[in-house]
Amino acid sequence: MALFLKRFCSQFKNLQLNTSNTLLRNIQAISLIPSIQNYSNTPTPFEVVDTEEDNKAKNQILNKVNSLVADKTHGRLFAVVHVTGKQFKITDGDVIVIEGYWPPDVGDKITLDKVLMAGSADFTLIGRPIVEKGLVRVQATVIEKTLSHTKTHFRKKRRKQYMRINFYRVPQTYLRINEISFQDEINNPKEVRGLETAIFS
Amino acid sequence: MSNSHIFLKPGFINVPLQNGIGRYVGQLQRVVLKFCKNNGSSRGMREFIESDLVNFAKNNPGIVVYLKPRRHRTAVIKAEYLNGDTQWLSCRNFSKDEIYKWLELLRKQQKNHEGSRIRKLWHTENPSIQGPWTPFTFRDPKLNLATFPDEELGKSENVASTSQDELVEMFKRQKLLELEAASASN
Repeated sequence: MALFLKRFCSQFKNLQLNTSNTLLRNIQAISLIPSIQNYSNTPTPFEVVDTEEDNKAKNQILNKVNSLVADKTHGRLFAVVHVTGKQFKITDGDVIVIEGYWPPDVGDKITLDKVLMAGSADFTLIGRPIVEKGLVRVQATVIEKTLSHTKTHFRKKRRKQYMRINFYRVPQTYLRINEISFQDEINNPKEVRGLETAIFS
Repeated sequence: MSNSHIFLKPGFINVPLQNGIGRYVGQLQRVVLKFCKNNGSSRGMREFIESDLVNFAKNNPGIVVYLKPRRHRTAVIKAEYLNGDTQWLSCRNFSKDEIYKWLELLRKQQKNHEGSRIRKLWHTENPSIQGPWTPFTFRDPKLNLATFPDEELGKSENVASTSQDELVEMFKRQKLLELEAASASN
């Protein structure tokens, strides 16, 4: 919603430059929403000195990375994944603990789809915000579902005869990361991608 | 949150038998349900045994289930894991559903976690793939060829100007103004 508003406002701003004061009232109303004022849609200024040279260097890097991916000579891969509000930097064989209620059961094999970053020793793919869906596959097994140690929530107000104590345990899910792999060559997006794991009913 | 848990034994994630690297192996080996045939505190346990226990055993062929009736004692679940841990759970006045819930917890656990807390939610054998950060990562490679002492590199940043500097500046500004005034009058 905020993003939509942002876009909406940016259009108004462009109009404002061209047209008269009639739109100004609207803009003032919108600018009352404080979160919008902080955003700027102007792109970061940059200058490409030589387009051809720039593309050449870019393609060279891409070809190098693609050859590594094709030959599987990239070595150990890592990924930064987003799971239930937390981000984990993982590689093959890691164990991560996910806290809070999470439906997967023990023995389930799952793929983690929100890959924010992936890479090897020589290169890194940075997602904006996530790496192209279906390009990097992160497979994991649920190995344990348990509860944390007992935590104590204690509240007291002085001189008010108020004291509350509450004990709770957080559900925890242990995940073993089985494999991080590239499914395709990079910088070659398909028309339709990322539907391998989708469920159609 | 109070800090009473800091007196628990701290530890890191430790998965027995590299579980999950190949396939997942259930770690609960044996479970003994102890109960009384007469006492009210075992009622939920008796109901559970009557209605749900057969299904539980059928669904989990890897778990051995024992029943141990004992007179005038409270209901108890004792679980034994593959790594040798045993976990004892009092089920006094538990309902049928509560017993099912706790039994499911024991089934899904790897070992007895009681009396310890984990310090990190992440365990890895390979903490860094691109090499750990050092003060020299992402620095200009020309630093490698610099000879020290170097006037330019050794210069300290954010040095506040001294009062002497300011006086000199003021003097210079005054001189300029005087010059301007002189040129204007001419």
